[in-house]
Amino acid sequence: MLEPPLTSLLRRHFPTAKFDENDSTLAAGSFPEWDSLSHFSFLLSVEETYGVRFGLGEISELKSLAAIRQALDGKAGRDA
Amino acid sequence: MPAGVQLRITATSFLLPGDAAWDELARTHTLDFGTFGDWPGALLSSSGTALLWVVVLEDLVTPEAVEGSPEFAELLHPLLTVLKKRLENAPEAHTAVAWLAWRPDSPIRSVRTQRFWKRLGEALATSLRQMAALHPSLLLLDLDELFARPGMDACLDPRNWYAVRCRFSRRGIAETARATAALLSRAAAAPRKLMVLDCDNTLWGGIVGEVGLAGLALGQDGVGRAFSDFQRSILRLTHEGLLLSLCSKNNEVDVWKVFDEHPSMVLRRSDIIAWRINWRNKADNVMELAHDLDLGLDAVVFVDDNPLEREQMRRYLPQVLTPEMPVEVFAWPWLIDALNDAATFQVTTEDRRKTEQYRSRSGFLAQRGSARDEIEFLRTIELQPDAVSISAGTVSRAAQLCAKTNQFNLRTIRHTEGALLELASRPGTCAFLMQLSDRFGDHGLTGLAIAVSSESQKSAFLDTFLLSCRVLGRHAEAWMLQTLVTSLRAKGVEWLIAEFRETGRNSVARDFLAGHGFVRLCDIPEKPRQLLCREAKGFWAAGEAFAARLDSIVVPYMELFHYARTAAD
Repeated sequence: MLEPPLTSLLRRHFPTAKFDENDSTLAAGSFPEWDSLSHFSFLLSVEETYGVRFGLGEISELKSLAAIRQALDGKAGRDA
Repeated sequence: MPAGVQLRITATSFLLPGDAAWDELARTHTLDFGTFGDWPGALLSSSGTALLWVVVLEDLVTPEAVEGSPEFAELLHPLLTVLKKRLENAPEAHTAVAWLAWRPDSPIRSVRTQRFWKRLGEALATSLRQMAALHPSLLLLDLDELFARPGMDACLDPRNWYAVRCRFSRRGIAETARATAALLSRAAAAPRKLMVLDCDNTLWGGIVGEVGLAGLALGQDGVGRAFSDFQRSILRLTHEGLLLSLCSKNNEVDVWKVFDEHPSMVLRRSDIIAWRINWRNKADNVMELAHDLDLGLDAVVFVDDNPLEREQMRRYLPQVLTPEMPVEVFAWPWLIDALNDAATFQVTTEDRRKTEQYRSRSGFLAQRGSARDEIEFLRTIELQPDAVSISAGTVSRAAQLCAKTNQFNLRTIRHTEGALLELASRPGTCAFLMQLSDRFGDHGLTGLAIAVSSESQKSAFLDTFLLSCRVLGRHAEAWMLQTLVTSLRAKGVEWLIAEFRETGRNSVARDFLAGHGFVRLCDIPEKPRQLLCREAKGFWAAGEAFAARLDSIVVPYMELFHYARTAAD
């Protein structure tokens, strides 16, 4: 499957925010625009883009890009 | 870039401010969500700006309260009081109330008693409608109804409620945003006032000029029933003040015969306020209709089953609303019912009388428009005619065209298959079927031309020249004529003799000969005339006779056919 990497989805979500796409520690709160409200919208976009659905528990746990990526990998593995 | 119009949004639940789901509304409005939960504050303080209030009834009634079978009036009182204040404070600004009463529940369990939420929702709706009757600025949006089409499961998401206190899914918010945008823009603009209707295959199934009254699909079952229902939807809009007119490429007598005599017509002649039933281009006709009725083009809706006509209308009169018609007729009533642009929020007695007023307006102007834009348009649709010979494989279609074509038909001779094969096989005969395609599709074998050579081989007689009404308005007849001319000249033929036989239905073919290089026989100098009369003896009956000199004839419109493959040889 050819989906955009998470970092470019983050860029699309925060088009004007200043952040380093190679920063491996990117997480909610890394820059001012990424507050808890916009984080939820970002998770909805992740769901839409990758065709997955996060449970209520995941929603509260997935705060960093690394965690989201890991969750996506887990779901892909389960589907395969 | 958000437009300058401010819209305050407030709700009983969280609405994901800034989320992409709001984009459609954000295109036309600057959205201000204020503080979450403070809907009373928003309603009471923002009197200058338009406001959207999203109410989820479940947010307002605690589960404990439901257990105690509370009085509806008591539950709704605080809500309605605040709303009433807002309407009094802000009579100029729009207040849109979107409410959701639906709760997941089992219709099986509630088979005997109506569900609490449904009854509460109905009580709220009744109160809101009473208020809307007094306050024109109050716009109502029933989310139960709005969400019915996409489905509640798609529009609501309990996970989002537990995660961030939002009852809706992104889809639910997007639906609400889109409907609110439509509501606000409709409230700001005047409704469309005039609907211009095509007739054949729009108001009824079939072409009246071809199949006659009895052959139309209208009424009864199946597709005929769908056409009747479509008419019924249109009639309903007239009760709200919409005016109806006809624009049809047809013989006027045929159209009125259907209106006057078909037992299943829902629309009557008296429902039609103005009409243009002719063979001219529809953009000119619509312009005239609007002008005659003193309406702007932005007050017009154009309804036509033919994609070519729709495209032409959108291109030349973009102000006219030309809705896309689904392929299946049974979907059309829905289209009409959902035509937001024709919605009038307040139907007055004035609206109901409007048809009368317009009808009594004196003197519709019969101003002639020009067709210059039409040629420009036809150039772009990639007309691709092709000549196909009459053979065992195509003769049945040729005979069918002879039998069924009543409108563009010079002589209306109903040749049989046998007669056609015999004619085509005569030495010196030039005969072909025209296959036509363009950007709107392949129209199939839709034209037939047969020119029979005289004994001397110096002249030919146009025995058959017809064009299916499916492809009228594209000047394909010019291409057919040019194809004949090229082929006859190659055989050394000098004159083409033609006859127009009036049938009462073929008036569209009448002007063809004079407009395409033919002259009346009586206007031809005596010497060649006598020769031609001799040559054509035995061919013509009582029709009007024409002839064209093949070495000097100039057929118009040939610039439209630069996509044509080859002329017949």
